[in-house]
Amino acid sequence: MARIELIDVVKRFKGETVIPNLNLTIREGSFTVLVGPSGCGKSTTLRMIAGLERQTSGDIRIDGELVNDTEPGKRDVAMVFQNYALYPNMTVRGNIEFGLKNRGVPKRERERLIRDICEIAGLTPYLDKKPQSLSGGQRQRVALARAMVKNPKVFILDEPLSNLDAKLRGQMRTELIELHKRLGTTFVYVTHDQVEAMSMGDRIVVMNKGEVMQAAPPMVLYEDPDNLFTAQFIGTPPMNVLPASRLPGLRTEGEGHAEFVGFRPEHALLSPETAELTREGLVIAGQIATRESLGAEQVYKLRCEAGSFFVKSFLNPYVGGDFALAVVPFERLYFFDRDGNRLRRLRAVRPQLAAAGV
Amino acid sequence: MSMNDAGRRSAIGQAAGVRRPLAARRIRAVLEAMLFAANRACMLLLVCAFALPFAWMLSTSLKTLPETMIFPPEWIPAEPVWSNYAVAWNSGPFLTYLLNSFIVSVGILILQMLTIIPAAYAFARFRFPGKGLLFGLVMATLMIPAQLIFLPVYLMLSDWKLLNTHLALILPFASSAFGIFLLRQSFMQTAEELIEAARLDNAPEWKIMLRIMAPLARPVLVTFALFSFITHWNDYFWPLVMTTNESARTLPLGIAKIRETEGTATWNVLMAANVMLAVPVLLAFFAAQRQIIRAFVYSGVK
Amino acid sequence: MPSILNRLRPYAMVAPALVVFSLFYLYPIGYMIHLSFHEWNFISPVKTYVGLNNYREMLADDTFLQVLRNSALYTVMTVLLATGTALPLAIWLNRKSAFHAFVQGAIFSPHIISLVSISLLWSWLMDPEYGLLNGLLHLFGISPLKWLNDPGTALVSLVIVAVWKSLGYNTLVFIAGLQSIPPELLEAAALDRSKPWTTFRRLILPMLSPTLFFLVIINLIGSFQVFETIAIMTQGGPINSTNTLVYYIYEYGFRFFKIGYASAAGVILLIIVGTLTLIYFRLLSRRVHYR
Repeated sequence: MARIELIDVVKRFKGETVIPNLNLTIREGSFTVLVGPSGCGKSTTLRMIAGLERQTSGDIRIDGELVNDTEPGKRDVAMVFQNYALYPNMTVRGNIEFGLKNRGVPKRERERLIRDICEIAGLTPYLDKKPQSLSGGQRQRVALARAMVKNPKVFILDEPLSNLDAKLRGQMRTELIELHKRLGTTFVYVTHDQVEAMSMGDRIVVMNKGEVMQAAPPMVLYEDPDNLFTAQFIGTPPMNVLPASRLPGLRTEGEGHAEFVGFRPEHALLSPETAELTREGLVIAGQIATRESLGAEQVYKLRCEAGSFFVKSFLNPYVGGDFALAVVPFERLYFFDRDGNRLRRLRAVRPQLAAAGV
Repeated sequence: MSMNDAGRRSAIGQAAGVRRPLAARRIRAVLEAMLFAANRACMLLLVCAFALPFAWMLSTSLKTLPETMIFPPEWIPAEPVWSNYAVAWNSGPFLTYLLNSFIVSVGILILQMLTIIPAAYAFARFRFPGKGLLFGLVMATLMIPAQLIFLPVYLMLSDWKLLNTHLALILPFASSAFGIFLLRQSFMQTAEELIEAARLDNAPEWKIMLRIMAPLARPVLVTFALFSFITHWNDYFWPLVMTTNESARTLPLGIAKIRETEGTATWNVLMAANVMLAVPVLLAFFAAQRQIIRAFVYSGVK
Repeated sequence: MPSILNRLRPYAMVAPALVVFSLFYLYPIGYMIHLSFHEWNFISPVKTYVGLNNYREMLADDTFLQVLRNSALYTVMTVLLATGTALPLAIWLNRKSAFHAFVQGAIFSPHIISLVSISLLWSWLMDPEYGLLNGLLHLFGISPLKWLNDPGTALVSLVIVAVWKSLGYNTLVFIAGLQSIPPELLEAAALDRSKPWTTFRRLILPMLSPTLFFLVIINLIGSFQVFETIAIMTQGGPINSTNTLVYYIYEYGFRFFKIGYASAAGVILLIIVGTLTLIYFRLLSRRVHYR
């Protein structure tokens, strides 16, 4: 297992700057997930770590050693590709053996390693089959086995689960987590699916347009986002963001001017319009546009003066008619300035009881 | 997030003044540049091996006869002899040749389009008894070259008194197994949903074929048209066998004939004629290089 | 629409093409086989049945045996040179830049020019007295060759022309094949610490083998069919050193008017081409499970 450092890394493709200036440290032994929308640079970053792309400028170090000029094969990095990249003209055994042969591992040792890895990956019955005759999940295991057998310092996985069906994906997710626990190797994992990221990583790097929006453990990202992008990226449905100026019941004190206010759908409570409000919070009056019932959860879409927003509830379905008040506790409100940065020193307080016309 | 650690480390690394790697890097850069130049030079040499003959052809076409008989050969004639082209052109009914070539190539293309589109469509979209056998038969003809059947076909056409006519040059190529193969592939790849939507819209079969599938297959059709036109325009063998009359002959035959009429060694006139034959195709090639290459290359790689 | 019409429709659609093929491909083959058992001089209305006489005569004819030998030699040399050099060329030229596209286009250009042009051009280039080739040799101090006029070098000269014409095509087809290899595979191999030669031998070559077979067979079949260059450049000579199968058939059919005999030679050609085709399809079906 090894620590990976990217220092002032810049990547340009034919005049287009994909990564303007990246500084990132991946801790040894961690399961770090790079997540972000398509084109955010996460795959490029991964490939630069592996050595498949060369950075335009900047340094990359693995375990303290500068690897800018080291070829991919010599970086002690193993990669699992999105499409598995299994050699079609070789059997499963051949696929796993290829890297070992190239390193000059003697035959007996090779056979032992292959046998062991196949037991762990459950591939022993398929050793002499070619990739074409295997299912998606089996091919994935072969790709994993091929990577594991090299006993690398770093495991790189480029959206390995995106080609699997939902059920298999869930299964493989837990298997990968267990694998990480057992091996303790540094895992660098790329995905565009934030649910996958949140459930697997112990450290998540949210990227957008080649920049790191925030890098933190999952719960920190959820509870304490640095910026609007991260706040809206994590969570299903994503955080509601409304322009502060159009929320009449809002009063703040502290530093900064709030341009946007955000709150998570699961932190809002619905009450009928006529109800007595016992909680201290922001009250938004709205009309219910749609209701989704997912059994244990209900998701409502409401329309108000400031825009539309979602409310997620685990209680019984709302029976108060088409109009409702959404109440968000003050401490669950997030404030952002015009550039999308989080204003942490701003607080919401109870508005003055003004004699505002109703 | 230890951003500061990383920043500090890079500064330290730079300050440590690692001088030797820098020199090594410079030497490597120079070596790489030299290798690059050598690589490019070799490629240009390769291009010469292919361009030089054409250049020589052009050069010869502008020489006087004595100038062609200099050894060692010289490249640039004293004065360009443009009249060689006139002599070449007048040495035979070239307008007729040109017209014939055009009529034949275009005629073949039209007939091919008429026969391969329905056939490819039927093979791609319908299920009928004997389909496999019939398709196999069509594909078998791919392997039957003109050089194999010219004799019997000659005898047949002679019986029907069709020798020396355009029909003799067009009819045998009125269809193309290659075209059917390409087009069928293309039709099979059209999404089923498009056709179902059209059927739900009450479109008759022929409309589906002409209005939906043919336009989608246009790139393949263009590719094939290029391939067919060029192949038949250049054809020397078939017109040679099927025609003896000057009025029916095509351009390649006309050019080859110059060699026989003018004697063996009027290379300058011959090369002028050759330039006239080759230049149109070369120009078309430069204009549509990618299309043409795609037509010939990718159709072969299934 | 009545169901009968519906069922007849596909047949109607394939009918025109099938008529053309039956008439001009399948029937002539049958006719040729039929003729090979007869003697006919084209003018007289009488075709005499002679059984296997034509074949016996052919196999006893020294010229025919030489023709077979020439065809085999020519084919083997052309195919080996044209495909053997095309593969390294393809690997060398395989990059997507304007310069590379230019070079690829340049070597491909002979492929679309008529064989007549090429034959005339090379006849001139190989002229023993004033040709450019001898001029180039002179530059290097080598004495001039007789090229097409010498029975020893004539066939090789034709091979050179054939290779010059088909090298570009072969190279570009190889390049297309190389580009169809998913780049992740090569990346995975790099990560597996594979050296360039190993990657080539164990990964690229196997994946390229369908393309390789395709080209070999196409070149093989094409070489057996060579006619234009011979007709224009050497007319089978000198002393039959460049007489090959198709030219032999042509001569016997159109010059000596021994139709039956020519047909028999045609049948031999049919057997050769047919066998090669079958081999190709057999190999193709075995290796088609690649993607």
